[in-house]
Amino acid sequence: MEQPTEIALETIGDITLFDIRGDVTALSEPFLNDAYTKAIDLNAGKILFRFTKDVYINSGGIALLIQILAETKKNKQQAGITGLSSHFKKIFNMVGITKFAKIYDTVEAALEQMAGGD
Amino acid sequence: MSAKEQMVRKLNSHTVEVSLPSKLGYERIAMDCSASFAKMAGFAQDRIEDLKTAVAEACLNAIEHGNKGHPNPRVLVTMNFKDDRFSVSVKDNGKGIPRIPKDTTVMRRIENLKPPKGLGTYLIKQLVDEVEFNKLTADGHTVKMVIKLTDKRLSPGKRQASGGTTN
Repeated sequence: MEQPTEIALETIGDITLFDIRGDVTALSEPFLNDAYTKAIDLNAGKILFRFTKDVYINSGGIALLIQILAETKKNKQQAGITGLSSHFKKIFNMVGITKFAKIYDTVEAALEQMAGGD
Repeated sequence: MSAKEQMVRKLNSHTVEVSLPSKLGYERIAMDCSASFAKMAGFAQDRIEDLKTAVAEACLNAIEHGNKGHPNPRVLVTMNFKDDRFSVSVKDNGKGIPRIPKDTTVMRRIENLKPPKGLGTYLIKQLVDEVEFNKLTADGHTVKMVIKLTDKRLSPGKRQASGGTTN
């Protein structure tokens, strides 16, 4: 039933892109933690989480994202999110994630605006 | 007949029942079924997405906390559409949710970037028009939710910030 989480890292300028595919649930923890550890090893200062439009994210997945965002804040990293459907934009806003990571409509907009910030 | 079809039973023209194993991931069957049924009933896509998330979270609570991950007690999801009301009952073999965190407690933890407890029930309360937790019977616990064809909810900021029943 569960579509396993796959995360590919890509570096674009000074931004580390987390390309996230599959479900984001409590079972995604090792994949998200592994990707974040690699991002730390890369000295990532800016992280962009890219989801697919048809992603399934449940409360367990949201809790994990909050944990990762706590780490980005602790490590003084800038975080952004893109690729979400309008429903999950609403959910992320509803739970307050948008206070810690800006949501961008497109990857291009995210890269442009995050590259401009320090 | 596929395994998925075996889980879904039409009780009458207004009612469908889905019987799920208590295993993470199977909530997707209930989500898909509720989405198809709500689409047939004329719900707009944004309301269908709200319904899917609420159904998923209620099933996850039933699987993880109600039936405690034991596969044999099933999670029974009953969907009914009548007039403009789509109601969903999610039944497990547990004893209910002992303490539903207040919305303000959930949000405070998120603002402090701490993993929130009760995020699933928080989302349900935000997304549906009516919800009743902790309906206990001799053979288990049921969460009942209603989502209406027309969204007449107050904005989230004006909604009652408490556990238990919301209307």
